[in-house]
Amino acid sequence: MVPNDSLVASAESRFRRFDADSSVTRPVWIMSLQKNRRAWCAGGLLMLLTGIALVGPLLAPHNPLLPAGGPFMSPGHGGFLLGSDSIGRDELSRVLFGVRTSWFSALGVIASGVVVGATIGLVAGASGGRIDEVLMRLTDAFLALPGPVLAIAVVAALGPSLTHTLVAVSVVWWPFYARIVRGEVRALAARPHLEAARLAGATRLALMARHLLPGAVPAIVVTASLDVGNLILTLSGLSFLGLGAPAPAPELGAMAARNLPYLLQSWWVSVMPALAIFILAFASNTAGDLLRDSFRDT
Amino acid sequence: MTGMQGSIGLADGPGPVGQVGPVASVEDLRVTFRRGGRNVHALRGVTLHIAPGEIVGLVGESGSGKSVLGLSLLGLHPKASTKIEGTVMVCGQELTSGSAEEWRLVRRRYLGAVFQDPMTSLNPTMRIGRQVAEVAGNTDEAVRLLNAVGIADASARLSSFPHELSGGLRQRVMLAMAIAGTPRLVIADEPTTALDVTVQAQILRLLRRLRDDLGMAMLFVTHDLGVASQVADRIAVLYGGRLMEVGESADILERAVHPYSNGLLRSRLTLLSGRDRPVVSLAGEPPDPTNPPEGCPFCARCAFVEDLCRQSIPEPVEIRRHHQVACARAGSLTEITDEALAPWPQRADPTGLAVLVHAVTKTFSVGRGRRRRPLHSLRGVDLEIAPGEVVALVGESGSGKSTLLRAIAGLLRVDSGSVEFGVPGDPQMVFQDAGASLTPWLAVGALIAERFGSSGLSRAERGQRVEHALASVGLPPEVRSAKPRQLSGGQRQRVALARAIAVVPPLLLCDEPTSALDVSLAATILNLIGQLRRELSMAVLFVTHDLAVARIVADRVAVMYLGRIVEIGPVDSVVGDPKHPYTAALLASVPDPGVELKAVMGEPASPLDIPIGCGFASRCASADELCHRSDPQLDALSESSDGPIRSIRRVACFHPVRSDEALGGGGG
Repeated sequence: MVPNDSLVASAESRFRRFDADSSVTRPVWIMSLQKNRRAWCAGGLLMLLTGIALVGPLLAPHNPLLPAGGPFMSPGHGGFLLGSDSIGRDELSRVLFGVRTSWFSALGVIASGVVVGATIGLVAGASGGRIDEVLMRLTDAFLALPGPVLAIAVVAALGPSLTHTLVAVSVVWWPFYARIVRGEVRALAARPHLEAARLAGATRLALMARHLLPGAVPAIVVTASLDVGNLILTLSGLSFLGLGAPAPAPELGAMAARNLPYLLQSWWVSVMPALAIFILAFASNTAGDLLRDSFRDT
Repeated sequence: MTGMQGSIGLADGPGPVGQVGPVASVEDLRVTFRRGGRNVHALRGVTLHIAPGEIVGLVGESGSGKSVLGLSLLGLHPKASTKIEGTVMVCGQELTSGSAEEWRLVRRRYLGAVFQDPMTSLNPTMRIGRQVAEVAGNTDEAVRLLNAVGIADASARLSSFPHELSGGLRQRVMLAMAIAGTPRLVIADEPTTALDVTVQAQILRLLRRLRDDLGMAMLFVTHDLGVASQVADRIAVLYGGRLMEVGESADILERAVHPYSNGLLRSRLTLLSGRDRPVVSLAGEPPDPTNPPEGCPFCARCAFVEDLCRQSIPEPVEIRRHHQVACARAGSLTEITDEALAPWPQRADPTGLAVLVHAVTKTFSVGRGRRRRPLHSLRGVDLEIAPGEVVALVGESGSGKSTLLRAIAGLLRVDSGSVEFGVPGDPQMVFQDAGASLTPWLAVGALIAERFGSSGLSRAERGQRVEHALASVGLPPEVRSAKPRQLSGGQRQRVALARAIAVVPPLLLCDEPTSALDVSLAATILNLIGQLRRELSMAVLFVTHDLAVARIVADRVAVMYLGRIVEIGPVDSVVGDPKHPYTAALLASVPDPGVELKAVMGEPASPLDIPIGCGFASRCASADELCHRSDPQLDALSESSDGPIRSIRRVACFHPVRSDEALGGGGG
């Protein structure tokens, strides 16, 4: 099977242009990240938040659960950088521990949502027909559950604990991802590349995992990073209502809520945790926006 | 058509412009866009004059800048991202730096435009009566215009929405809007490319008639020299943003001097191209418009290139009256002969059975609720293909040819009938849009290796077989690590082919694999398919709407109409002596240079509304009462029935065309 000379010649002359591109061996998404400063900024921002959540507690100057000095010390006084609360616990230490709780709770719920939602959305979108119908009606049923009410019900039944709240939120969080992934997959499934892959002998699993799912990854990543801020606010809101970690544990939403009565005399006690929530939500939303823009460009 | 010409001060300009000044002209026009942070040099010094009442065919491959020139004459470039240098004159007005308001007035008074896709040019939410009346002034004038473009029963059509009309009718509506107010110049950008060939023939005739009646000039932009030759008085060949050759149509077609236009002509397939050897192809690709070469744009692909060509861009020279060529060697290049390609090796006649399609039917259901209707896509198709044999499936849109292909591939379930393979293995398919048929995030090597499945090959063996597959389609092994989007259109189609033949399939299904490619590239892909099927003794079913392509690739041709095969037989005898009036009509609609088009009336019938009798009867000149009453079956012609099975001609017609009627038996 030696192609005739004219074919080889034409292929070679055409190949020169292609060859000039030295980055061919790298995966497309890495290339687009390299080309795209915005995506790097977004990734860096998310890594930074995770880093702070990881090492933050090591930097905490005091035990967050025990008093370390006089109550209601204003920021910068008595050795408290962010002041102290009503029983003299260090506000900075409590905020640092709270950031860890909030951030990893949010990541955990999102990870479970992505895994469950993407699987269901992928199967529904790739199968179509009756399977799609059944899975999406199931998704709708979960989508109809009101998150906070379910959380209240779960906590009422099993007792207040952060884990219970997270489980309750996770149950209502995945349908969102299932819908997004299914939409992306349906659109991809209409492209000829799927028929070509079927003819090439790809198995059902390979069709879904290799020829459909990677196409939905940008949508998942963008949605998830925009969602972190959302979730932190939701979880803080639930803590605010008393549905999060029980009393002495440092949790941002709960800290903001419980110290609200002191707002007029000692504003820092509730404003500092609220500020931390704001920073987390703002940073992850910004990261999501940056990622969305960078995917749109490529 | 009076008035303005006297005031034009360009009558002494160069070019074959007769006594009166041009209706539109560009002088040394340079258009540069800003796109993706880079400068795209779309036009690099083009001088062209269009005389009143003249049709200029502007021919070029994709990326040549032909549409940009059309838009320049319409003043439709976005101001912010476009740099325009040189001169643009329309009807005596200097408009190079014309304001939006000046251009608007000029467009309204003097210009009309028709684009490729009338569906996107028409407003989908407005009835066509209102849309045409908007430019025509009132409804009576709209009806007159619609009649003028050959829409029967125009007043009844006024209340239709664009989506309710066929492609041909939509394009006629666009034309009606373009000629409203009797423009001096109509810019037609690929107006027939999206249409079926019989409808294309009708529109081309209509364009010439409108020009004769209204006396307007036209710039007809097309990628197809054959189409240009059917309408244009003069042909201008554009390449890499420069005009290569300008001359009168007949002159260009018979005595093209520039190596590029000459190459284009020779790689264009006609019904007379030799089919015993590979077709002539232009190697290489057009220059990159973001980084144009210093010298002649064509020098990288030119067989006659010399140092001078690489150093400076040749200016157009008049080699004979009304014939300009931009080539450094214009004087010495009057005769270009084909380097003879070696003929394909002779092979034994194919025997055995690769695939047997028996009485296949498929009906889709379209619409929802009460408007749900059956769409009869396949209405009983029988077909058999031998190993190593190529059968071309020819038909217009709605004929069911793609449905048949997908049914054979097993991509859709048939309602009744059967598809059986005589050779083990799964059929493979090559799609029209190769880019869309390759998974964008997977590397070429991974895509090809998928064909080996879980066959227990080691990594090294897989790699070797991938490289072997790439080599057999003429691609270097490095391509294996590339992503589809890093490849050019021709390379992608080669990769799709490599994937299909990596494990030799019993049957290769080709769905118009060349119709989205430029002429010169299409020729190389056709040669490649011809070479592979001979080397691998692979059966091929090749779907195309182009009989000239069918003739080149196939041993036998099957003509489909309304979900049936209406004629089948050896390609030479079907093309040389069509028996079914529809085949004859298709042949007569092929826009070959120097052959007069004979357009059949009407549009392809709709598979939503199958007539009782012969599907073609409503468009057939020789149809009688019998044809409208009963449905002819595909029967062997008596004169051929005693030969070997593959030489049998079958035709589904009560009144087959007699041999002495020759081409155009169904013509009107």
